[in-house]
Amino acid sequence: MAEIVIDGIPYSFEGKPKLLDFILSKNKDVPFFCYHPSMSAPANCRMCMVKVGQYVKNRETGDYELDDQGERRIRWFPKLQTSCNMDMMDDMIVHTHETDDLVKRAHKDTLEMILINHPLDCPICDQAGECPLQIQTYKYGPEGSRFEVKKQHKPKHVQLGPRVTLDAERCINCTRCTRFTDEISQSHQLTITRRGDKNHPTTAPGTVFDDPYSMNTIDLCPVGALTSTDFRFKARVWEMNQTPGLDITNGKGVNVDLWTRDNVVLRITPRHNPHVNEYWMTDKGRDAIHLYNEQRLSTPAIRLHPNDSSLVMTSWDNAYQTTQEIVESTDTKQILVLGSPYASVEENGAWMQFSESILKQSPSYTTHIEKESGDDFLLVDDQAPNTYGCELLGLKKRTKAAFKKAVAEAKVILSLHDDYIERGWLSEEEIKGKTWIYFGTNHTQMAKAATLTIPITCAVEHTASYVNVDQRIQRTYPAKETKYTNRRLDLEMSEGRLDRFGTKFDHWVNEDHKVDCKPLWEIVGDLSLLWGHTLSYRHGRDVLDALASNIPALEGVTYQAMDDQRGILLTSSETQEASS
Amino acid sequence: MSDWTTYEPVLIPNIAGLDRLETYRKHGGYDALHAVLHDQNTWPDPASVVQEVKEANIRGRGGAGFNAGLKWSFMPPVDGGPRYLACNGDESEPGTFKDRKIFEYNPFLFIEGATIAAYAMSITSIYVYIRGEYRSWIHKMEKAVSDAYDAGLLGQNILGSDFSVDLVLHSGAGAYICGEETSLLESLEGKRGYPRVKPPFPAQRGLWGRPTTINNIETLSNVPGVIRNGADWFKSIGAESHPGPILYGISGHVNRPGVYELPSGMPVMTLIEEVAQGMRNGKKLKAIIPGGSSTPILPAKDLEDLTMDADALRGAGSMMGTAGMVVMDEDTDIVETLWRISKFYHHESCGQCTPCREGTGWLEKILEKVVTGQGTTRDLDLLLDITSQMEGRTICALADAAAWPVRYTISRFRDEFEARCKPSLIPVG
Amino acid sequence: MSQKSSDNGASLSQNGTSAYTFTKEQLAEIEVLKTKYPEVQAVTLPVLWMAQDTFGHVDPEVQRLVAYTLDLPESHVHGVAEFYTQYFKTPKGKHVLDVCTCLSCHLCGGMDTLGYLENKLGIKAGETTPDGEFTLQEAECLGACGYAPMMQITNDVYVNHLTPEKVDQVLDQLASGDTPDFESIPMPLVSTTSNNEAAGGSDE
Repeated sequence: MAEIVIDGIPYSFEGKPKLLDFILSKNKDVPFFCYHPSMSAPANCRMCMVKVGQYVKNRETGDYELDDQGERRIRWFPKLQTSCNMDMMDDMIVHTHETDDLVKRAHKDTLEMILINHPLDCPICDQAGECPLQIQTYKYGPEGSRFEVKKQHKPKHVQLGPRVTLDAERCINCTRCTRFTDEISQSHQLTITRRGDKNHPTTAPGTVFDDPYSMNTIDLCPVGALTSTDFRFKARVWEMNQTPGLDITNGKGVNVDLWTRDNVVLRITPRHNPHVNEYWMTDKGRDAIHLYNEQRLSTPAIRLHPNDSSLVMTSWDNAYQTTQEIVESTDTKQILVLGSPYASVEENGAWMQFSESILKQSPSYTTHIEKESGDDFLLVDDQAPNTYGCELLGLKKRTKAAFKKAVAEAKVILSLHDDYIERGWLSEEEIKGKTWIYFGTNHTQMAKAATLTIPITCAVEHTASYVNVDQRIQRTYPAKETKYTNRRLDLEMSEGRLDRFGTKFDHWVNEDHKVDCKPLWEIVGDLSLLWGHTLSYRHGRDVLDALASNIPALEGVTYQAMDDQRGILLTSSETQEASS
Repeated sequence: MSDWTTYEPVLIPNIAGLDRLETYRKHGGYDALHAVLHDQNTWPDPASVVQEVKEANIRGRGGAGFNAGLKWSFMPPVDGGPRYLACNGDESEPGTFKDRKIFEYNPFLFIEGATIAAYAMSITSIYVYIRGEYRSWIHKMEKAVSDAYDAGLLGQNILGSDFSVDLVLHSGAGAYICGEETSLLESLEGKRGYPRVKPPFPAQRGLWGRPTTINNIETLSNVPGVIRNGADWFKSIGAESHPGPILYGISGHVNRPGVYELPSGMPVMTLIEEVAQGMRNGKKLKAIIPGGSSTPILPAKDLEDLTMDADALRGAGSMMGTAGMVVMDEDTDIVETLWRISKFYHHESCGQCTPCREGTGWLEKILEKVVTGQGTTRDLDLLLDITSQMEGRTICALADAAAWPVRYTISRFRDEFEARCKPSLIPVG
Repeated sequence: MSQKSSDNGASLSQNGTSAYTFTKEQLAEIEVLKTKYPEVQAVTLPVLWMAQDTFGHVDPEVQRLVAYTLDLPESHVHGVAEFYTQYFKTPKGKHVLDVCTCLSCHLCGGMDTLGYLENKLGIKAGETTPDGEFTLQEAECLGACGYAPMMQITNDVYVNHLTPEKVDQVLDQLASGDTPDFESIPMPLVSTTSNNEAAGGSDE
């Protein structure tokens, strides 16, 4: 075991870790910009300087050489070293800025240099508040600027692609973005152009930065040079809430952070999970904000007459009673219950229980796989977030043909989430004359064609779990309030400044952002009561607990365990059989 | 110091038509390579060649002055994969115009030297990087290389031996930084010329990740002589600590500027007064920049007994560099000259490292202020402060090269700078 | 380095991606170039040179041609073209005059030469004459320090020891469609006994 002394404290280590990585892992701070743990280290920002030396050993005896005071003699490197690309060696002595004034001075000097051509536009910069340059400048930078000559001007508000905007003057040339397109997404769409202080990233002229992962460069950018075209100028970072969540736009189960303000999801960024997505996510996954904010089903709605072109709002009670009337007036053999890989484990679980106890049948489901649409990275063929969850629960999988046949034979259909019309599996013609009760989140084509729509919470409004294509079960947190939830009472919801201090009487709060919807497990509980059954689930946790005690693959699966292990890989033989 | 007036040039001897292969061979050309490949008694193995070159102490003529043979010895053992020699003919340090003389007048000497080096290090391919501006000289080299191939002096089974090596000429396209050895490698690989982080050093991971040695053109041109006449002969020429012939480039305010081949350790004043035939228009000498624009300026008063070798120049507070000496007369505007040097480094910084990318521009902009009479004495201190923020803080030495002229010119000619500046009592902080 | 050759080089694109094409001979030459390096990327600089010699510049369309020909990312070729100053990223005049004003040339009247040319051509450094004949540029050190002031003509020959008369002469020569010859500047003899400046290696 090798040993290293950092700021006077000895640490032991194995292998050849990089010094910066190691120092950071000990919860010590060394400022840096260009370094990123999953990409090559160009050591170009020159920020992570440390003083490095090594104990001198006698070559023959292998003993430490001692100085006059009897202390071990240290041979210092003649210059300060960048720690990001420095291999750790046995007997190394390291001084960070905490113990060495020259290192402190180097940090200040480099920051002064970085800032001379950097615009002083933090007040209008999107990055402000989460800007490494801003933070490091506060911590290690100079008091003021001695730069009293003209700044270098470079292109501003350049639309690099449909989703990314460049302000080259803010760029500090860390090359994280170009390394991302070269090493991670491998689209090679970005390069650094020009030379010296005219350097900045760009695409080749006439080409568009439409890499399906392009927006990761925004997260990577340590300054406000690359910003989101969509999110630009929408909110200050400190006004928003940050809630962990999952990307539900495909089956990969990418971990994300949901940024909300006044119950609107303003942006989605990747959350590090080494088992799933590292630091990255797809651009498509970020588009889910529209799914969460717009075209939401709010308040149940009913088609009063089969020929009516639209549905009208109705009360929850009426919706429940109508459902009961429809079901009771129909032979259960003519009722088709459909689960959904778009819905969570808990939703499908509660749905199944409701279906089995009241409708005397097990729900079936269809997968939504688009062959060849995936890559070897984060895009996968499976378009739904919880296909494996449906298998796990034992829902019956139907092929497209079997599904169409079942629909044709049914009189009443209760379905979850899936938009079969948009997917091209059903035409409006095929469902004419049928009574379709749709439990969904958005004004999909399915919702428009349905007889009765019952709005359910979406992935950012409840706690629920999803099993990804690699059979990892992970869960969401509520980020958005509904009409029936309250941040202050729900301990799983975070509270931002505006949530805390905003009132109805100023412009900060808009009650309309709260959707009139309920978690599916609550709805089926309410419905069950009409039949005299008690299915009392007040929280996703209740459903999961019930499922965990019935399904061997879910044994021991709890939200706590998922949180602790960053999701749980389900490896029981049953799930493996199901997936094969 | 032997009498320089009787010195017989060996790199570029006064022989007409030496750029023709038959003339070169008639005058002993390729004897050295032949010996290395066929004289088993003197040169039993490649290592013996490395040893002799190391012994000769050919200090790199590109500016760093590192023992070439020692550099060769850093190459790892042969593992069957490709190994490369990159020859640095980028020659872009202002004041330097010597390697082009070799391309023009004695190209085969260099090619022979590179081939011997290739043999000594078991190199599989030689790449010769020549700055793109030297198109005329690249054409000359193309002819020479093609003649060498035709004569079996390059390519397969050179001179009937089992040693084979290819030589490829590669033109730069206008970037001073590509004279930095790892930037040169990046440029050879077809990329933007960004210097590489070291370690790994090129001997471990150079071109395309394989062991690579980079040598200057003049350095390699000294190799055939060392092989033919021995390390002791080489060490007998010029200064003891920095032996061998040197191509001195003399430019600026002298009567006869040009490139001169003379032993190392020439007295500076002899070079100016006698070799270059004195100052133009009978003016007085003010200062010199001894070895290319990055080497610290030396005022006339420090030149009395100064000789051109690495140790003496270091002692005087400067460096040998490329031995491209720039001579300035009494009318020279030192302030403007420094501004021009800074402008060059600002233009040529690759932009990778923060201190260099930002610092070079800052230096130039402040100096522009000073030149135009807008500067204050505080600006001078600020300039010095900025140089200390650049030196030793970057991947390659361009930041140092940009900082040194500023630091030393201001400290050595402070009065001339202050005369151009308004006084200021505000501390620079 | 002549603009004329662009007439036979430029034509409708064969792959629909660039307004320029390489000739069959050039494509064959590129294949030979590729054999000299273990990786294709290494021929980026030589092929950009070939393109510039053919089309007179390497504007984005030409960069695209190079990228497609070599099957390299366009951004790579663009980044490389932008890094090196000798590549013309926009079309230039028929003759590009690069006047060195760096250290030694600056000491020996490089700025005067540039100023003389500016006056004579009626343009500033960085501009092209309205008739498209001359582009004037200020250049960094070209490695002719002993022969200052000097300039390079369209990335090719050096013209040294410039005086107003010599500049006039060179401009006339260029305007008449002629290019100055390569000037071989011999190594001066070092002997103190001889005052013969013209003697040199190739001058016997």
